[in-house]
Amino acid sequence: MASSLRPTLTASLPACNATTQSPKLYPSAINPFKSSQSHFHGLKLSLAIPSSFSSFTPSISKTSVIVSAKVTKGSVAPSFTLKDQDGKTVSLSKFKGKPVVVYFYPADETPGCTKQACAFRDSYEKFKKAGAQVVGISGDDAESHKAFAKKYRLPFTLLSDEGNKVRKDWGVPSDLFGTLPGRQTYVLDKNGVVQLIYNNQFQPEKHIDETLKLLQSL
Amino acid sequence: MSILPHHYHIHHAASIGRRHHYHHHRHHRVYCTATTPLKPRPKVEPLIINTTPLIAPPKLDDPELKSSWTHRAWVATGCTTVLISLASSVVGSVDSHIWLEPVLSGFAGYLFADLGSGVYHWGIDNYGDASTPVFGSQIDAFQGHHRWPWTITKRQFANNLHALARVITYTVLPIDLIGHDHPAVMGFVGMASGCIMFSQLFHSWAHGTKSKLPPVVVVLQDAGVLVSRSQHAAHHRPPYNNNYCIVSGVWNKFLDENRVFEALEMVVFFKLGLRPRSWSEPNSDWTEESEASPATSDFVAMTMLCIRISSNVEYFLEKPVINENTVVSLEYEFNEYHKKSKPHVTQSQ
Repeated sequence: MASSLRPTLTASLPACNATTQSPKLYPSAINPFKSSQSHFHGLKLSLAIPSSFSSFTPSISKTSVIVSAKVTKGSVAPSFTLKDQDGKTVSLSKFKGKPVVVYFYPADETPGCTKQACAFRDSYEKFKKAGAQVVGISGDDAESHKAFAKKYRLPFTLLSDEGNKVRKDWGVPSDLFGTLPGRQTYVLDKNGVVQLIYNNQFQPEKHIDETLKLLQSL
Repeated sequence: MSILPHHYHIHHAASIGRRHHYHHHRHHRVYCTATTPLKPRPKVEPLIINTTPLIAPPKLDDPELKSSWTHRAWVATGCTTVLISLASSVVGSVDSHIWLEPVLSGFAGYLFADLGSGVYHWGIDNYGDASTPVFGSQIDAFQGHHRWPWTITKRQFANNLHALARVITYTVLPIDLIGHDHPAVMGFVGMASGCIMFSQLFHSWAHGTKSKLPPVVVVLQDAGVLVSRSQHAAHHRPPYNNNYCIVSGVWNKFLDENRVFEALEMVVFFKLGLRPRSWSEPNSDWTEESEASPATSDFVAMTMLCIRISSNVEYFLEKPVINENTVVSLEYEFNEYHKKSKPHVTQSQ
């Protein structure tokens, strides 16, 4: 009774900060891709320390090589069928005929992924104007996606790649010696051909800029 | 009659055609009634609230802030082990006429201490709580520090340093016994352990005000030899996820710009399933409280409470029926607000 008498404040669009949730263990079944090299783009090095310590950070490099990735620029992306946040089955073929942005991200409710999702949301009109769809894929289940999409009012589809099968099929590289699922975005044209692959783990907003830049030229 | 912000709400509410009657006694007595032409006015007893916050910052004369002889003893032993290292290094350098290596390793020790302080601070700030084995008391202390950051400046010297001094004693004494013949090793260990032990002092200075600090400390802070006040202040602002290093702060820019701790947090999350505290909105146990007097805090608390009450009463105005449940909900609001305090809710005669 008392709770019904309490006035409720309508919430404005939530700020994109992750809030407490029960921790979800990333599926331990993930195997780093065949190559043991980590793939870590977009890290600015501004060393303020003596150069004798440069060997301290061997794993962080500005560029690295993708070794035998299955999906490359110019190839047709392999099809998949996954469940979305409402539990409905969605195939990649559903998006044929229009450009589609498929972005693989580590996990729901982590700071980088939240920033990325919110950035896609905030630029969604621009994607629509370019005639493109946006699809996010991570290893979280449909329930997690539903809560994540609801909380941040995400207007696009999130797919559950449980077991990370699609991630492996597409050859999305891991970061930090396989400890972190990679953050990689693919832009497919209306024929399903990959026109852009962009990888950047720690600057998630850049994915939106890069994909929009390409879409506007398609 | 005290003037409180919610008076605007009251007069605004009165303008929509209902008759209301509020009194606000200067001694925190809140008396709210509402009337309706449809039913007889219910008898609403005035409520007197006295609140005692359950968790309060230590007062200036709190023994918790003072140094005991045990504290002083630990600081003395810690300093002794550090001085033994440094002395061994100097003596060894004099004997061997090799200075460059021990000096360089000493500098490396100074840098290592800053990095180590950052990593430790990051871990303690983000994971665990008071019940965590071994580190529980430290985690609790760091949480308390975020809530009342100015308290560190009120701690006496040995009180502030004794915990670190104890760890240094346990760690450095065996190293002194084993490695005293190696000047470079002793140089590294002496500088690293000394900086770690005194990091709480540097930390306390970083919370100080320029006018009250010794001039030489201000010079060292401005030169970047010791962590600066501005750099450390950034750590005490939301989202509390940067500038973790507290010796010299020389690593802070590199660690923050390269998102090293963010990467570590992601790895810990995926491998261990632990979410760091910095990913969540800070709760009241973590958010800084201002260094206000208890009277001011009470005034602010009462003002907030009255605003909530007035907004509830506005809601009541939309609904013409007021019965005994109305009083219950108001009491609920009082009790719910003061859940964390010790409420003393009494009814006046």
